[in-house]
Amino acid sequence: MVEIYNDYKNHADFLTVYVREAHPTDEWQMKSNVKDDVCYAQPKTLGQRVAIANDFIKRFHYPIAFGIDDLNNAANDAYSAWPERFYIIDESGRVAYRGGMGPFHYDPDEVRAWLAARYGTVKHDAPAPASPGPAASLGSRK
Amino acid sequence: MTPFWKWTTGVFLVLLLAAFLFLSKMAGSPKDVYGMVRYALPHMHRGTLKIGDDAPDARLLALDGSDHFHIRERTGGRPLVLIFGSYT
Repeated sequence: MVEIYNDYKNHADFLTVYVREAHPTDEWQMKSNVKDDVCYAQPKTLGQRVAIANDFIKRFHYPIAFGIDDLNNAANDAYSAWPERFYIIDESGRVAYRGGMGPFHYDPDEVRAWLAARYGTVKHDAPAPASPGPAASLGSRK
Repeated sequence: MTPFWKWTTGVFLVLLLAAFLFLSKMAGSPKDVYGMVRYALPHMHRGTLKIGDDAPDARLLALDGSDHFHIRERTGGRPLVLIFGSYT
């Protein structure tokens, strides 16, 4: 997603909305979380959610603008976003693209295709850098 | 229990076991099946938003933990790509 952001940031705005954890230690923790050292309990306070979000940004030097959903999960509920999802809002404030539900239908290529249809394809001469392989559902560096 | 009900119960249990084994293979392990059913399914919703609908607004907190802003404040001039997710 960071690559898509870098390719199209001159044409579109990007906003990461941080929602409730997908695989916290006190719920459904996966082996990959342990392997990648991404072990956090489901936040019980907004401060805890903020702290985890900041850890993520620090670890991956994540450049995309960030907003954190309140503990009442209002943004998550409004967009049926959990665990991960893409949307594109057009200039008139309407939903222009609605991504599939993660994890199986969470597809950055669809976002790229939408942006490419509007603003043209961005070609890369060098191969894309290898993903660091985080457990993060936000961590797709595509 | 009549033979009919014994047979029906048996088939049901076999199907349940097959489903559990299939899900275990897909999810990774029996523990993951439990996690998926207990923690994931209740929170996964297809949602009703459609292309062309007004984008819902919501108040978000900035990374500094004190400033707030609304999603709609970021719309207008250019398309806005929303990336929902979490670290884990």
